Amino acid sequence: MNTLALRLFAIWLVVFGSVGISLASEFFSEAEKTIIQSFGPWPPPLIADPSNSVSQNSEAISLGKKLFSERRLSLGRDLACSDCHAPDQFFTDGTALNSAHGRATRNTPGLLNLRWSSWFGWGGAADSLWAQSIRPLLSKEEMKFTGKKLRELFSEDIALTQKVQELFEISVVDQSDEALFVIVGKLLAAYEETLISGLSEFDRFNVALSASDNIGIESYLATAKRGLKIFIGKGRCNLCHFGPTFTNGEFGDIGVTQFITKGRIDKGRYQGIKALQSSPFNLLGEYNDDQQGTSRVRTEHVTLQHRNWGEFKIPSLRNAVKTAPYMHNGSIETLAGVVEFYSNLDEERLHIRGEKILRTLNLTPQEKKDLVAFLRTL
Amino acid sequence: MLKLTNIRKLLGLFISILFFSSSVYAEERRLLIDAHIHYSHDAWDMLPPKVAIKVLRDAGLKNAFVSSSSDKGTQLLYNEAPDLIVPVLRPYRKRGELSTWFLDESVIEMIEGRLSKYTFAGIGEFHIFGEDANVPVMKRVVALAKEYGIFLHAHSDAEAVENIFRQNPEAMVLWAHSGFEGPGKISEMLAKYPNLRADLAFRNEHADSGKVDEAWRKLFLAFPNRIMIGTDTYTPERWYYVIDHANWTRNWLRDLPSEVADKIAYKNAQKLADWALKK
Repeated sequence: MNTLALRLFAIWLVVFGSVGISLASEFFSEAEKTIIQSFGPWPPPLIADPSNSVSQNSEAISLGKKLFSERRLSLGRDLACSDCHAPDQFFTDGTALNSAHGRATRNTPGLLNLRWSSWFGWGGAADSLWAQSIRPLLSKEEMKFTGKKLRELFSEDIALTQKVQELFEISVVDQSDEALFVIVGKLLAAYEETLISGLSEFDRFNVALSASDNIGIESYLATAKRGLKIFIGKGRCNLCHFGPTFTNGEFGDIGVTQFITKGRIDKGRYQGIKALQSSPFNLLGEYNDDQQGTSRVRTEHVTLQHRNWGEFKIPSLRNAVKTAPYMHNGSIETLAGVVEFYSNLDEERLHIRGEKILRTLNLTPQEKKDLVAFLRTL
Repeated sequence: MLKLTNIRKLLGLFISILFFSSSVYAEERRLLIDAHIHYSHDAWDMLPPKVAIKVLRDAGLKNAFVSSSSDKGTQLLYNEAPDLIVPVLRPYRKRGELSTWFLDESVIEMIEGRLSKYTFAGIGEFHIFGEDANVPVMKRVVALAKEYGIFLHAHSDAEAVENIFRQNPEAMVLWAHSGFEGPGKISEMLAKYPNLRADLAFRNEHADSGKVDEAWRKLFLAFPNRIMIGTDTYTPERWYYVIDHANWTRNWLRDLPSEVADKIAYKNAQKLADWALKK
């Protein structure tokens, strides 16, 4: 009986499977397949951050992980990085604007796969993961930490001090407040660099597509395949959300409101560039460990432009289904809402010379469902 | 005790500091006329007229050329501050009409009605490109500008600007964003059409970190009487950029000879407004 069943299954595979395979292989053109393959392989090569001397150092990673959950890094000793970037919530907080420790004005972004970013934060106010990790520590709306309190922490935690001194080959007491924050930032970044998401449903499909593994190709949902076709076709989503991380890592103005409240706005990338250029922690400063100097180049070439007003970071779409709500202000609750936003994009809010890529997509109900189905597989 | 000579020296120093500080302040707050402001329907709620006028005054603007979708926005601001606002008639009832307005003949009736009822220095900013500048609606707009002796604020490519001048060689055209052209083409157009003016709204290429690009410097020095500045408040949020933009503008203007800088900052726009408003 079992043998018969196996034979029947084999016949079914040959007859019906080949029909399906034939359809699948014809579903994407060669040009589309090339674009799809550019979304992989996942993960990209892991290269140490040259600006951080403890990048990929196992002891630093371990210490950084502890500091990530260390509430003593806040003024009231009541708030750790992990309280807003919750590991069990894909390192987000699942809320539009966090109000647990003062009203945030931007959505808490996830921390996965940041090691391949060049700019950090919705406005790109930091050009390294370690500089970005310092920002919430010093923020008056967040952890409100101070140099004095950081010194107290080192004084009372001898083990921490010893490890830091060994790792960085310095004497903690001889360091300025700024330099101590850099040390903490670099330790946190060493850990955060290790936060990499696993293979997604899409990645498995992409591997199968590259290998012409027809069974692997067929196991990817038909609706997701159609959504992918829209993503790289009618939707042109891949013009900004490209490569293995599904982002160009830059900034865009898609017309989401900048108003925080009446009379108060978020300047986005414009403010980010200003903050970046005046920050003692940027890669042009003394805390960059890169001996070659190549990591400075990108920051050196940043100039403030009119278009930066109202631009926000183009986020990675990996794990998008797990990191709701969306947009810089968390104003859209679901992926379906995001697709709806682009389908009805308000071109009146875009400058004719601004985001020339963007246009109202006018998707059909089925196309919207398919696009959401695809996004859910990332 | 201080000797009289020392007191005199101190007084002299104090006066010098005072004079220096005030001249630096005057330099920092160089008068500006912003030739490219919109106050469209989506701005009225978040930025009521009094607030909008305060933004313009806080930016240190002498005047602002305002056109809005719909024109009601311009009238709201003009009523609030007639000394500040130079009204320009936009042929749109809402911003979304920017790519269709010239095919809609009812626009003519609207423009004619507004021109007969209110005071305007110009018609614009409208978007028109290439051969579309020769459609009947656009031709009527050119004719109306001639009839009222006012300028046309054209967001156009060079081809459309040339088409406008073919219809009326005497037309006065303010070329929005300088057509997003480079200094070479702008120079060519300014040389060819004496009644062409150009605004620098939403342009960055001419200056970086307070330094004027050399090719643009040549343009500014060659046509010091024809160029003006503007912000382009195309969304309500952009109104909060007017002050930053004014400061950015003052910064790069300092890199030009003072006389040229003043012309680009406000004198050229002032002259255009005075001509149109028959002052």
